[in-house]
Amino acid sequence: MTDKRKTNIKQKLISLLPIAALLVLFAVFLVVVSINGYRLDMYLKIVFNEALVLAVVATGAIFIYTLGTFDISLGASTLFAATMGVMTYNKTQSLILMIVAIFAVGITASLLNSVLASVFHIPPFVTTVAMMSVLSALSAQIITSYGGALGGISIPSEVVKPFDNIGFKAMLLIAFFAICFFVFQFTKAGRRMKFVGGNPICAELTGIKASKYTILAFVMAGIGIGLGAFLTLCYTPSVTTTTASSIGMNIFIAIVFGGMPISGGARSKIYAALIGGFSYILLNDILEIVIDSSAAYGITQVISAVFFLAVVYVTSMNYRTALLPR
Amino acid sequence: MSTPKRIVNALAMPVVTLVVLQTLCLLNGQSVISNMKSFDNFIVYTAIVMITTMALSINLNSGRFDFSLGSMAGLSCIIGAKITYGILSGGNGSAPLMLCISLVAGVILGLISGLTYCTLRLPPIIVSLGVTLVYEGIMYTITGGKYVMSEVQNPSMSGLTGTWVYAALIIAAVLAFMIITFDKTAFGYDYNALKSGQKVAVATGINEVKNTLICYGISGGLMGIVGTLNAARNTTINGGQLNFGSIAIMFTAFLPMFIAGYIGRFTNEKIGFLLAAVCMSLLNSTFAVFSNSVNATMQSIINAVLLVVFLIYLNNNDLIKRLLKA
Amino acid sequence: MNKKLTKVIGLIMAGAMTVMAGCGNSAPAAQGSADNAASAQGAETTTQPSGKTKKIGVLVADVSGEEALGFRNYYEKYIQENYDVTFDYTDALASAEDEKAAIEKFASKGYDAVISLSSSDRAQQIETCEQYGLYYAIASGVLDDEQYEKYKGYEHFVCQIGPSNATEFEAGKAMGEYFKNQGVKKVALYGAFIPNPMHVFRAAGILTGLGCTYGGANDMEAIVGQIFQDQGIDLSKVSGDVELVAYLQGYGDTTTDELGAAIQKAPEAFLSVGMATTFFAQTLSQENIPFADIDSFTAMNSQSMESGSLKYLAGKYSSSIGPVFALVSNAIDGNLIRNDEGNAVSLNQGYLVATDKATFDEYFVNDNGDSPIYSKETLDSIIGSQVTYQDVKSLVESK
Repeated sequence: MTDKRKTNIKQKLISLLPIAALLVLFAVFLVVVSINGYRLDMYLKIVFNEALVLAVVATGAIFIYTLGTFDISLGASTLFAATMGVMTYNKTQSLILMIVAIFAVGITASLLNSVLASVFHIPPFVTTVAMMSVLSALSAQIITSYGGALGGISIPSEVVKPFDNIGFKAMLLIAFFAICFFVFQFTKAGRRMKFVGGNPICAELTGIKASKYTILAFVMAGIGIGLGAFLTLCYTPSVTTTTASSIGMNIFIAIVFGGMPISGGARSKIYAALIGGFSYILLNDILEIVIDSSAAYGITQVISAVFFLAVVYVTSMNYRTALLPR
Repeated sequence: MSTPKRIVNALAMPVVTLVVLQTLCLLNGQSVISNMKSFDNFIVYTAIVMITTMALSINLNSGRFDFSLGSMAGLSCIIGAKITYGILSGGNGSAPLMLCISLVAGVILGLISGLTYCTLRLPPIIVSLGVTLVYEGIMYTITGGKYVMSEVQNPSMSGLTGTWVYAALIIAAVLAFMIITFDKTAFGYDYNALKSGQKVAVATGINEVKNTLICYGISGGLMGIVGTLNAARNTTINGGQLNFGSIAIMFTAFLPMFIAGYIGRFTNEKIGFLLAAVCMSLLNSTFAVFSNSVNATMQSIINAVLLVVFLIYLNNNDLIKRLLKA
Repeated sequence: MNKKLTKVIGLIMAGAMTVMAGCGNSAPAAQGSADNAASAQGAETTTQPSGKTKKIGVLVADVSGEEALGFRNYYEKYIQENYDVTFDYTDALASAEDEKAAIEKFASKGYDAVISLSSSDRAQQIETCEQYGLYYAIASGVLDDEQYEKYKGYEHFVCQIGPSNATEFEAGKAMGEYFKNQGVKKVALYGAFIPNPMHVFRAAGILTGLGCTYGGANDMEAIVGQIFQDQGIDLSKVSGDVELVAYLQGYGDTTTDELGAAIQKAPEAFLSVGMATTFFAQTLSQENIPFADIDSFTAMNSQSMESGSLKYLAGKYSSSIGPVFALVSNAIDGNLIRNDEGNAVSLNQGYLVATDKATFDEYFVNDNGDSPIYSKETLDSIIGSQVTYQDVKSLVESK
């Protein structure tokens, strides 16, 4: 066997590691739940619900990460979209208008980031830092003004109850993933995004307008935000100032955990968020069950972080450089 | 550009900021800095912003994004507070001893962070995510998630921020250290070479790992100082910041970092950090004056808008000039 | 290769989702027939064999506050040692989604009941517990009237025992009246985390107690409504005999300046709706400004009252959550106590007030260690198959 072939096999194996990690974590999870005598069917449902919104929003965000940048405002955008959805329903009593509002706000918030970045030549990351502050602040203002003594705003639970079942949610997840997969793998736009992310100068020299694909990437992320906000409301039909608060930074973790390089480009993987999101939630749930969480939240987080670094270290072996990466 | 012109340009930003904000205050019958106590707070906050911005920019200028600054500040000053209290029980000399221990602890934490980065050779942003989670977890485990209060509530600590003198001395010492280290030493020359052209610099024989470790060490040490100043100013340290609860401190340093970059065109960049921190501190004092009419939500929005507007100006300077001429 | 790999992984993930969906569907509660599921689960959990250790999950949002830690110590160190029960505390729950997931985890672990100290979405908590057949009780705060009316008949909603919004208002009012009666003419007010509802009601109470009007209004509803609308207290809308010279809220970069500015205005008292003992005790004591807070009876506050300038503290004692445990325990054992109208028990608990060290220590020392105010002996009088609503009501009202 030639060295080149050996290297290829090694690379293939390494690229399969994120899914192997997911499967191992899943197996460990099954064992841990069974040993403790907990109800597996219910626990699987919990893991699915916990990972769902993270996986959906992060899958949309893959398009942004592919361009070699990142968006820190995704959690705040999800909160804002859900807030505006609830406000719309409470004004109109229309589920359809609520869904339209959620997606419109999600996409608009995301687009605003890209327009600021593309038109005014601001680093996209910085616009998302600013957007995070603005959207969180606006949401808080609306929620506390209208929520009053309840501390949050809500829609009647009957409105979204028909959608709060695993079958429907799984269908939405698969449909959204299929669309993203198609755009990412089979369209010119998807390929060009990878090109822009991998080598922006070359891409520009070949006539590709980075700004156009930046906008498209943020639109895809906006759809993910809208869907994430809708699924959040399906799970709990109320919005407080802390809704979706855990998503923001966990998206980073999910995407990297799924085996995607943070630098984006050709090595970007559309399935990374899905794998990473479920892996991270499984890991946390395993640790929560194994370690007496009420005595050791800090220790749980330390172990989780070390495991995260170890997995990313192994999965990134394919693109290790001689120089320190930046 | 002539020296007087450079001085005028460098001072323009803080002077314009002062004039605008003071006018706003005067229109409402107030003053940005109304008494000696408010001047003390102004200088202390200037020190905090300047040092945080320096800590952020040391690595960010070299393309290394570091989310762990807040967790380093928190953990180093908790270590400092616990050890100091163990030795002096809150007696005389507590503040200087805590400052020294926090500084050393910060350097060690920074070195650990840098060592993790250099060893794993993962993108620094990913390493910083893991390191943040680890440090937050340790912080939580040490404190049990509680506020650290009795360890930092003593006359010595309140004296540290009770007068502008100590903060001014710290500003002078840090400024001198940074100018000498980064502009007058072999390390500084290497740092600048690596910043401008990593590949070429490494090819010429510069030890990148050593340089990087020193950068992380300095950055950690600076955050140790920030942690102590914050502990003295707030009379508490929040030990319960899990799941990226500590990263907010980093976002406050973005605007001053860009302002410093702009001022740095006319003077030494480190002086730029000081002048940018003065601008931010003036804004903070003005927010305090108007706290009854400009709430925290509005402050967040104003800060975010200022960040975006300033970056639009910075990145479209030529275009704006052309438009104005036309 | 990458393309192929992506396709394969995509298919695997889709398959995995379907499997998960399938597994999820096998959970009775995951289906639309939630009521049936609830009954099925309810049957599992309510018929507790005698002698089996009861398992109770506790929802918490605050894992580090003095009050939260006091509550936890009481359940884990006192109740757990004296009764056949285990408590499982959650991590700090940040949102309504976290609360729902935590309840679902308790259900999947076969727990008997949930006690809530977290309030992101209480309505959702009740509905989720009902769905999974878990008994549910509120140990901190209470539902607002409209919500209580909606949920009071739910089979698994056991009780809510704690300070109502009206009690929060009264606690603030008592503080305001105390200082007004002391002849104070100039005060500073800390609104803590307004628009947190609890803090809004307390702040409205303080204004009323000081004899002030807010925007011309002097009744609870009108003042509270305006504070929510203003997201804080607008000094220009306050008028009355006692002058409100400074107001600050929240905790951030400007707080030190705001506190400094408030001190410069030389208030005769610094009144707080919460957290002042954590954030400002040292500064206010150094400046010798008398201050008041609504917090809890802790060692730190005892010290502030002895050597600092803390002059008034309204607080709860750690064992005040004892009756909630008693009612939940009874429900698990088959004695689901209802009020006179046949609904979930709703009892109000007031605050205890200390204005001197001796009174403070009376509450602090007496509620610590092995002899809490709600001791085993006391709780035993309301635990059992024959205990009635009147027994519980009498005991809670006597403390």
